[in-house]
Amino acid sequence: MTRTLRTLCTSVAAIGLLTIGAVAQAQDKTIKIGALFPMSGPGSYFGTQDKQGVELALEQINQTGVNGYKFAVHYEDSACSPLPATQAAKRLIEQFKPDVIIGEECSDATLAVMPIVEQAKVPLLNAGSSSIKITQPGNPWTFRIMPNEVMQGINLAENAYRRMNARRAVLLFENTNAGIGNAQVFKENFTRLGGKVLAEIGFGRDVNDFTAIATRVAGLGEVDVIPTYTLEGQGLKITQALAQAGVTKGGGGNAIQIGTIWLPFGFEQKAGKAALGYIRIVQFDPTDARPVARNFVSAFKAKYNTEPTHLNAHAYDQIMLIADVVKRGGKDPETIREGLAATKNYSGVTGSVEFDKNNQNVKMDTIHYMETKPDMSWVSLKWN
Amino acid sequence: MTTTIVLQQAINGIVLGSLYVLVALGLTLIYGVLVQINFAHADFVTLGAFAAYFFMHLVGLGYIPSIAVALIVGAAMGWLINASIFTPLRRKNNELLPLIATIGVSVMMQNLMLAWFGPIPYAFETEFSRHVIRFAGIFVSWQNVIIIVVSALTIALLYVFMKFTFLGKALRAVSQDRETAGLMGINPNFLIMLTFVIASALAGMGGAMLAPVLVLTPFAGTSVIVKAFAIVIIGGFGNVEGTILAGLIVGLIESYTTQFLNPGLIDIVVFALLLLMLAIRPTGLISERREENV
Repeated sequence: MTRTLRTLCTSVAAIGLLTIGAVAQAQDKTIKIGALFPMSGPGSYFGTQDKQGVELALEQINQTGVNGYKFAVHYEDSACSPLPATQAAKRLIEQFKPDVIIGEECSDATLAVMPIVEQAKVPLLNAGSSSIKITQPGNPWTFRIMPNEVMQGINLAENAYRRMNARRAVLLFENTNAGIGNAQVFKENFTRLGGKVLAEIGFGRDVNDFTAIATRVAGLGEVDVIPTYTLEGQGLKITQALAQAGVTKGGGGNAIQIGTIWLPFGFEQKAGKAALGYIRIVQFDPTDARPVARNFVSAFKAKYNTEPTHLNAHAYDQIMLIADVVKRGGKDPETIREGLAATKNYSGVTGSVEFDKNNQNVKMDTIHYMETKPDMSWVSLKWN
Repeated sequence: MTTTIVLQQAINGIVLGSLYVLVALGLTLIYGVLVQINFAHADFVTLGAFAAYFFMHLVGLGYIPSIAVALIVGAAMGWLINASIFTPLRRKNNELLPLIATIGVSVMMQNLMLAWFGPIPYAFETEFSRHVIRFAGIFVSWQNVIIIVVSALTIALLYVFMKFTFLGKALRAVSQDRETAGLMGINPNFLIMLTFVIASALAGMGGAMLAPVLVLTPFAGTSVIVKAFAIVIIGGFGNVEGTILAGLIVGLIESYTTQFLNPGLIDIVVFALLLLMLAIRPTGLISERREENV
């Protein structure tokens, strides 16, 4: 009896230990996510807001884990610029050894990082860069959630011509891959429809005073739309200078500034009355009625006590899409790459996701339009 | 091309040039007295901009008092950093040490400001930003009028200080020959400290003037400092009159390049001028006064 009891106790203890070991092993399984975000320099507002979205997503998925995996993120400052981005990517790959990388925001930085991730065979999931070169030709390891500059540019030009009845445009853009690319796509499509581009004005990121540029635009005569492609800081100054020169609605003129995904939410409040009538594409519509969007908005407000921006939203989507891939069997760089490529109709907070053969998300419901109202609030235009 | 636009761009250029002069004057003063380049100067500009911003928004006493606050904050920081970092290094009789220290101070100040103020651009609106004077097709905001008036007053006061006061004359003496000035009873260390305080005060005030124009982030000053260096070289390193002239010329070049060429070409035009100056007149626009630069 004693012997039987001892055997039974030993067996129970052994089973218990094995179970604890298995559970511990399961909990030790971690998907390592490297994040390349601009944390310094003029694009650092991207990194701050991206991090908020990532932290919220991590908090939610790590409560239970996915397929026994927990998720860990390591951030590196890629500074919205090619050289620091490549250095950050190398540090990330050599030291953290991620299963997947998310970022960068700026096209030049993303383009610089792409050969490195391809060589290391680590998938890169991008949500913020618009240059067409990222996915054409692209590489098998780079995926993009956001609509590229061509998708946005064609859509913007068509809406400007058909819905806004615009016929004369002046292009303002920063001299970067994304700035020049966005402006060129708009020009090609706007002129194809019958519109006329009166001037193409590119500028460096070190330009602070835009009064001279606004003066030049004012001297061009009647202008209907001013597609503007620049980061938030310069964007504010351009909007204010154009209003001061009496060119745009905010300054008593007739022209309307339009743009693609460059500016964060809250831009209108900072720009003030000068932003009146500004119509721009955003990647996330906080009034979106889908449950996934509503749940995100309420969770974000509960955690940060503020409304989420499109940067918060697309960073959140990056992590949640990776979690979805892990749910579908992704566990290492190769299987995560395969899982991303096989994604069909994934519903994220910014819209849905399905990649084409170049790893570009083909879903147009990620393009949302908003217009700035006289009280500096905005309204969703539901154009797509 | 209408006369109105040419005139408007001239006003734009003078406003921009005035801002550059305020930043470049501090650089040229320090070089004139210490023969040292201060790479942290841009960060005193940024600090002044933030000091003005927070004074305006927290105390609510308006823009003009905030310019004075920025000047005081700049002067105080200039004194503190000179006393705690540059002066001890200067005693080691190695010219490279204080120069490298200015780079260290710059990185440190940028990152401290990044930690305190965050990376998101601030919108610095003053009570004068949105009031625009329009006359015969020309427009100028009250903010820009203030920039021109304050810059002109500052330059005039600095000129009077340098030419007609004992301390100003002593500064010029130290810039010409520090050892001989010391033998004449002038305390060079006090005057070096005074130079740093004046230059930093100018940078702080320049920051307050620039803040409504700049994209206000912890890196704001760095976007104007490269131009300021170019202006100092074009004007003649250490030459106050040359710096003023060069600043206004660069401002006008920027405006007219934007109008007639493309803003993307501004740096090419400005730095081509710099190379031209180095090739044909390396001592600057007003080279005859090189031996008496401050």
